[in-house]
Amino acid sequence: MSGVRLDLQEPLPVPETEGPPARRLDARAWARENLFSSKLNGVLTVVFGLLLAWVAYRMFRFVFVDARWEIIERNITNLLVYQFPRGELWRVWAALYVLAASVGFGVGAAGRRSSLAAEADGVPRQGRSMVLRRVGPLLVLVVVLLVFAQSLTATLLVAGVAATAVLFRVVGQRVPLRRARLASLLVLVGIAAAYLTITAFGGVPRDRWGGLLLTAFLAIGGIVISFPLGVLLALGRRSSFPAVRIVCTAYIELIRGVPLITILFMSAFALGFFLPPGSERPSAVTRALVALVLFTAAYVAEIVRGGLQGVPRGQLEAAQAIGLSPLKTTRLIVLPQALRNVIPALVGQFISLFKDTSLVFIVGLTELLAVAQNITKQSDFVAQGLFVETLIFAAFVYWAGSYWMSRESQRLETRLGVGVR
Amino acid sequence: MTEEALTAEATEAHGTGEPMIVIEDLSKWFGDFQALKDVDLVIGKQEVVVVCGPSGSGKSTLIRCINRLEQHDKGRIVVDGIELTNDLRNIQEIRREVGMVFQQFNLFPHLTVLENVTLAPRHVRRAAKAKANEAAMKQLERVRIPEQANKFPGQLSGGQQQRVAIARALAMEPKIMLFDEPTSALDPEMIKEVLEAMVDLAQSGMTMIVVTHEMGFAREVASRIVFMADGEIVEAGTPEHFFTNPREERTKQFLAQIL
Ligand SMILES: Nc1ncnc2c1ncn2[C@@H]1O[C@H](COP(=O)(O)OP(=O)(O)OP(=O)(O)O)[C@@H](O)[C@H]1O
Ligand SMILES: [Mg+2]
Repeated sequence: MSGVRLDLQEPLPVPETEGPPARRLDARAWARENLFSSKLNGVLTVVFGLLLAWVAYRMFRFVFVDARWEIIERNITNLLVYQFPRGELWRVWAALYVLAASVGFGVGAAGRRSSLAAEADGVPRQGRSMVLRRVGPLLVLVVVLLVFAQSLTATLLVAGVAATAVLFRVVGQRVPLRRARLASLLVLVGIAAAYLTITAFGGVPRDRWGGLLLTAFLAIGGIVISFPLGVLLALGRRSSFPAVRIVCTAYIELIRGVPLITILFMSAFALGFFLPPGSERPSAVTRALVALVLFTAAYVAEIVRGGLQGVPRGQLEAAQAIGLSPLKTTRLIVLPQALRNVIPALVGQFISLFKDTSLVFIVGLTELLAVAQNITKQSDFVAQGLFVETLIFAAFVYWAGSYWMSRESQRLETRLGVGVR
Repeated sequence: MTEEALTAEATEAHGTGEPMIVIEDLSKWFGDFQALKDVDLVIGKQEVVVVCGPSGSGKSTLIRCINRLEQHDKGRIVVDGIELTNDLRNIQEIRREVGMVFQQFNLFPHLTVLENVTLAPRHVRRAAKAKANEAAMKQLERVRIPEQANKFPGQLSGGQQQRVAIARALAMEPKIMLFDEPTSALDPEMIKEVLEAMVDLAQSGMTMIVVTHEMGFAREVASRIVFMADGEIVEAGTPEHFFTNPREERTKQFLAQIL
């Protein structure tokens, strides 16, 4: 045994490197350099360190000792779908499977093209750990939900959803590259199919949705509809037709000057204005979705306009010189470059939209946050001050969703930035 | 020689003798500033015309009027028998006949080299993808970079990018090629490879208008050199005439500066 040790102590050949020598400080040296470099710095470090430790301790104690999580455990289905008929819950599961299949397939097909481009560039392929990091926030969310659900059936079903996603990702990677462009279209079709799985053929109309399901519906529906609308508005604002330009500019400036709450309140009235007289009054869910879409589209338009302005004139001239029509110049040259440049801002706007869905309670809808408030008034829990538990739960769900979107945006940025330096 | 006679000689077609581009009485204003002043120029089939002159003399404006990147205010431009009008279809028709290469390359950064070259054939001429790829590879071989086909423009050197830009313009099989200072943005060691591609092109019988200060190129392949100043053609003639025996004082001054 000891012989082995001796061997190890022989000096290893030092690899020759051209870069600066690696600075590896031990913990003490690091602390001295960064935390205690001066007297003031040392005092600040101690004060904030104690403060941080105290807060962390209190939070840890609350979450793992004091908190009465049974309110969440008993209401987990309410928080997820609220008054959705329990007999129809299988439809939600089916929709999740449809979503997993289409998204998995789309990610597989789209990822193939970009990884081929990355290989041409000499960038190493992203490993498994990278994929795990990507879906990390979602994974944590699912695990927490399952812990609260304490149901074997649910766990198995979730495992099935994950397996479906992985399986279809592999299938997606096998499609011929020419068809890869259809991948994003397929994801849209999958979203629509998931929606129909719940609503169609004697299903549950969206007016009876609630909880996280409603939150997800408003967020996904809002993003999917407001994005193309916003792009059209941005193009319209730069149009050479004065009428189009004036209408788009007026719309954008009007909406951006009004708080979302106002638009939510007014959507009932405003929709009645545009619908033919005598038609049925749109439901609260429809109104809320319309309001969120109208609001977000104006902001998306301004973000995209910024991106359009960033595309150099020379790109337009080159497209004109090779004979591309104005429409194709926009579609093939200008928009792809403009959108790529504004991904962070766009995703930021969509994260806002996701969190703003919590405002729809003012038109009488019961999405996640509203359920979290309502369950504290149940006879078993009323007047016990359990709102902290429910709020922490809701906040955690919003955080997981937002952080996941933000991570996806970073990934999308690097992926689309391949070869462009 | 009088001003009149000089212009007459300057504007007469060379090359095969048949005119390819006829520019008559062309004027262009930017606001109150007149960038082109009654320019007359006839360019023959297979002719290579080098345009030079001091900065701001209107060289770029002149060639950009030919494919309507700038709209002229007065005069006539006829390209291969088609008169340039405001009609969009007419403009598209002329752009199909005219390829252009820019100083800043203006390649599409989000598309691969091959996609840059096949874009116009596929979306303007609606060629099938396989055919367009095959034709694009031929053009890339012509400018000697077929091995870069699947890279993105940002991964290439300036000289390589400019050669891709030439291949992209050639992919539409134009009858005329316009070059606006194609080597001015390049490091000296890359200028040669681009000029070589242009010499090949000239020798294949392409009609070319080249804005450049590369006088070596002008001497070797130009059938005519046009000297512009202040929006006017000051002097035009064969390279021998131009380098050995310039008539105008301004031409002499300009040559003294750049040679
Ligand atoms: N879009 C524009 N708006 C206003 N003035 C312009 C515009 N484009 C060109 N000009 C002016 O027209 C004149 C001719 O410009 P042009 O670009 O044709 O010159 P050039 O001979 O190509 O010069 P250079 O060698 O610097 O490229 C210049 O004085 C320039 O300032
Ligand atoms: Mg110029």
